[in-house]
Amino acid sequence: MPAKATRGIDVKVLDIQRMSTEDGPGLRTTVFVKGCPLRCAWCHNPESIPPRSHVEWLGVRCIGCRICEQTCPQKGIRLDTDGVHTSEQCEACGACTAACPTQALELKGTDYTVDALFDTVMKDRSYWGKDGGVTLSGGEITLQWQEALTLLTKLKEAGVNTAVDTCGLAKREVFEALLPVTDIFLYDLKLFDDAQHRRFTGQGNARIISNFEWLTAACEGTDTRIWVRTPIIPGATDTDDNIRGIATLVQDKTEKWELCAFNNLCRDKYDRLGKDWDFKEAGLISKARMEALTALAVSCGAPQAVWSGATARTDSET
Amino acid sequence: MAAKYENAVKKPGALSPRVKWLRDYYFQGTNRKWNNEYNAYTTGTPWDAQFDEMTYYIVPENYSFLSTFVQSFKQISEVVPVDDAFWKKSLAERKADFTKKCVVERLPVEILPGDLLCGARFNMMYSMCLTEKQQKERDKLIKEARKSMLFLFEHGYGNSGATSGHLIPNYKKIIDKGFKAEYEYLEKLYGDLSPADQNGSKGAQLRAMMTACTMPKELAEKYSAFCKAQAEKCKDPKRKEELLVMAANTAKVPWNPAENFYEAIQSLWLTHMLVMSDERYPGPGVSFGRIDQYLYPYYKKSVAEGMTEDFMKEILGCFWFHCNTAYDAMIRVGGNQGITAGFGQLLTLSGMGKNGEDMTNELTYLFLDVIDDMSPILEPKPNVRLHRGSPEKLLNKVVDMISTSQGAPFLLNFDERSMAGMMRESEYCGGLINQDNVCEYAPVGCLENTMVGNDRSGTVDNNLNLLKALELVYANGKDMEPYEDKMGGAPTKLTQDGPQTGELKDLDTWEKFFKAYQIQTAYIVRKMVDNYELSESIRAKFNPTPYLSTLVTGCAEKGIDVTQGGAEISFVTMEGVTFATTVDSLLAVKYLVYDQKECTLEELVKALRANWEGYEILQAKAQYRAPKYGRDDDAADAMAQLVMKNWADEVWKYKTKSTNRQFRPGMLSWNYWIGSSYILKASANGRKNPQFLSNAICPSNGADVNGPTSNSNSVGTALGGKSAHGDFGEYVNYLPNGASHTITFNTSLIRDPTHKEKFKSFLKGYIQNGGTALQINILDPDVLRDAQAHPQDYRHLLVRITGYNAYFVTVGKELQDEIIARESHKGY
Repeated sequence: MPAKATRGIDVKVLDIQRMSTEDGPGLRTTVFVKGCPLRCAWCHNPESIPPRSHVEWLGVRCIGCRICEQTCPQKGIRLDTDGVHTSEQCEACGACTAACPTQALELKGTDYTVDALFDTVMKDRSYWGKDGGVTLSGGEITLQWQEALTLLTKLKEAGVNTAVDTCGLAKREVFEALLPVTDIFLYDLKLFDDAQHRRFTGQGNARIISNFEWLTAACEGTDTRIWVRTPIIPGATDTDDNIRGIATLVQDKTEKWELCAFNNLCRDKYDRLGKDWDFKEAGLISKARMEALTALAVSCGAPQAVWSGATARTDSET
Repeated sequence: MAAKYENAVKKPGALSPRVKWLRDYYFQGTNRKWNNEYNAYTTGTPWDAQFDEMTYYIVPENYSFLSTFVQSFKQISEVVPVDDAFWKKSLAERKADFTKKCVVERLPVEILPGDLLCGARFNMMYSMCLTEKQQKERDKLIKEARKSMLFLFEHGYGNSGATSGHLIPNYKKIIDKGFKAEYEYLEKLYGDLSPADQNGSKGAQLRAMMTACTMPKELAEKYSAFCKAQAEKCKDPKRKEELLVMAANTAKVPWNPAENFYEAIQSLWLTHMLVMSDERYPGPGVSFGRIDQYLYPYYKKSVAEGMTEDFMKEILGCFWFHCNTAYDAMIRVGGNQGITAGFGQLLTLSGMGKNGEDMTNELTYLFLDVIDDMSPILEPKPNVRLHRGSPEKLLNKVVDMISTSQGAPFLLNFDERSMAGMMRESEYCGGLINQDNVCEYAPVGCLENTMVGNDRSGTVDNNLNLLKALELVYANGKDMEPYEDKMGGAPTKLTQDGPQTGELKDLDTWEKFFKAYQIQTAYIVRKMVDNYELSESIRAKFNPTPYLSTLVTGCAEKGIDVTQGGAEISFVTMEGVTFATTVDSLLAVKYLVYDQKECTLEELVKALRANWEGYEILQAKAQYRAPKYGRDDDAADAMAQLVMKNWADEVWKYKTKSTNRQFRPGMLSWNYWIGSSYILKASANGRKNPQFLSNAICPSNGADVNGPTSNSNSVGTALGGKSAHGDFGEYVNYLPNGASHTITFNTSLIRDPTHKEKFKSFLKGYIQNGGTALQINILDPDVLRDAQAHPQDYRHLLVRITGYNAYFVTVGKELQDEIIARESHKGY
């Protein structure tokens, strides 16, 4: 599938993280974009889900000057006793965030042309070394795949190592297009059971699995690397059955399979977005459980399985 | 300390029993029966004095005690009688004679249990050896110098004074050839002088230096005899043998050349310790230079002769102990064994050679092991030089050490950028620094770059608050408020100290405003130069240090003392303080007044005079909306570079009149960025008085919102970045003295081998893009707790735990506590 002409088409960027250590090999610059086709119940970065820009309020910075109310052309923002809220009228035009003297209002989602994005990420080239590079992440980067393709092509031409972090839910053609310009796919496999997948993410997993199988086959014998990531979420993905199931897909076909332990540190984000969160009270998984799940994955024929993340401290550790 | 935090603090490694004992003993502090407190000595004349208050002119917290120090040392000093012939000699000779008398006759010769090195009790305050007439003249001049210095400080310009130490003596020469060779060299130079010169000041200086050369010899002989006597009494055959070796060592060095590793360290220590006493501070910032290079031949020879690395580590462990006893000088002051400020005895490791090759050797790693085993401990302070060709093994070791300490137990120095700065000096020193030898540079004090053995560049002597220039613009060349003596005293009036650069209403364009800033910058630089001349000329006239002069190439050849500009390379440094606060203030003025027209210049200055009270919204805009240096923002960093070049150019315009030393710029702020924050008014970047000013070349606290890589890129750009016509390769550096840069990292960044590899990648990038020197701190729970208490200073502290990221200060208290607990345990 050929890329459309992208001149003038912008990438909707949520954030650019420089000196990222958690998004692939080496030291990287990670571009997080907005918009995601999944609605994972445990999502750690809920602000990345809506594809449009939105305005976020950080109470700790607010001095209550009401300049936002006075600036908004749509009358779509107000300061209440419990903080600043945007209403339906808000078009995320950026007037209030530009005027807010303390940056208590942030516009989540900034438009970058591919060229501007390229120039911005390249500023850190000296730090990437032989392993690092640029990771495109989300939200879900494949929702903006044409812009991603242009950017990745430019990066490859400049000799940069590229990684694509994806949930796997996109048309096959998207992966076909990205494959030649991607060095590493960071591929999420969350739940093996289709019904469970639908229950917890709002979508079934048939396409995700089929893309994964296609991708592993396409990468076999090539230099393109695949790292699978499975979030270990209590009461959702942390069962033996789920790991056994995903192991049948992963086998020893990928370079790495990372089981990422759940943490609940993002519950403030849900508060700020005014949303409830099912996992608010969920505790951390124990180290022993993470080790057991990893051992299970290994015993099911995936020796590349490892685990990461915060675990509950046991008494002996304190 | 709560038990759960115990593992958060680095512990020393496996030390031999003797080194462990010495280290533990050192940390007993005032409970020790033995220490290295000051001993003071007088010629016995009623006018005699010992303490040179000018050595503390750059230490504002001591200003109130200057007279007390002078009187205290007078009171405790012991009379060392001199004869009538003494007073007929030149001052340099009197100083050399008296110093030698004190060292050889009065210094208590002792050996601590198990110690392998001779030489201690070096914190000595000698008589100034002045005649009554000289002392009176000096006192009068000092009065004037003190007044000038206090004006500078109280009115917010900064501080300045002729300071001791801060150089690397030519230790290599003594280790390799002995003082004997130096004595013979001086004798020859003296013999070659015309009779007129022999009878003049040159002759006197050389005679004084010859006397100085014999001082370490005679002291070493005393140690030798003492060790021999101790050996005879010693029942333990092993210790007896050790004492006999020590007796043999001190019978030989430092008068004769050293012939193995042990002798070389003994020679180095005795020679160094007497430099520490020669300037009576004791000399701060007296550094060892590239120790792994000049000791390497001795290391190889000793290895070949069968000396084990374990034994070398024991010798070095003793050396470490001796270096730390410098702090005993004022052991009863302050709550931490007298450790109130660093002595900065730096030792430099690794670095590139003449052709860009790496110079790391086995001895580099031996030193790193000793540093690892001995730390946490303050002295000597290691500097590791990194460059594009640094080997992986060294980088791995460096990162490993960073990860097991609370940050780096050493400072990292970056060769390419540092050498670019040093090359800027080339034309001012007749090419004595050039492409072929610039790789021999090494830092002194904290991180100040100099050449070795022939260079004294007064690296901390002038500390200029760049921000003062803006205050003068705001008040048309006057202070913003009349100075008020908080301890009482008559009220003062505002005077027209600086040039009139225009009423605020007339500064109606950015260009006019910036021009006014440049004029006031030129004025404050000149003001400091003029002030420095006072103390510099007093030191040149009354404070010769003939012993130190024997160790600085140029002094013998010119026949003048190092305090008179004798060093071959003789610069004096002006350090720029409050750099980022100044840059950010200029950016804020431009943004608020001229670009966005949020307010008029008069309104902005009114807000500053009110310390932003009643102007909170304008303050917020200055803080959060105006551009800032440190974010890799091209426009803001261009301003930083402009400010840097502008003030550096002003500094290069001056030389000292009395000693003909060329001024050169640097950027180190020691603790001035904290102290001066009470004096300088609110600043246009949104800072209230007394919030801290910015530190050295670091971005303002909390301004580096894009993380360490952008912070480092900005620092490199401010120093001049890279260009096709760089000073060294493509590297540009406006600051030959170097620039202090500190970055704090999260512990999770180096939690496992994979992440250490990533951190290494950062260091390699820093070599390419960053500054001259980097201190790495690893974020500890205390910092996080501070962030909880002062969220405004940590707005951009990012917490990132696999897949989750958020600003630390935006998460609730309960979660912050959880993160702090985790940091303490390094539990993820």
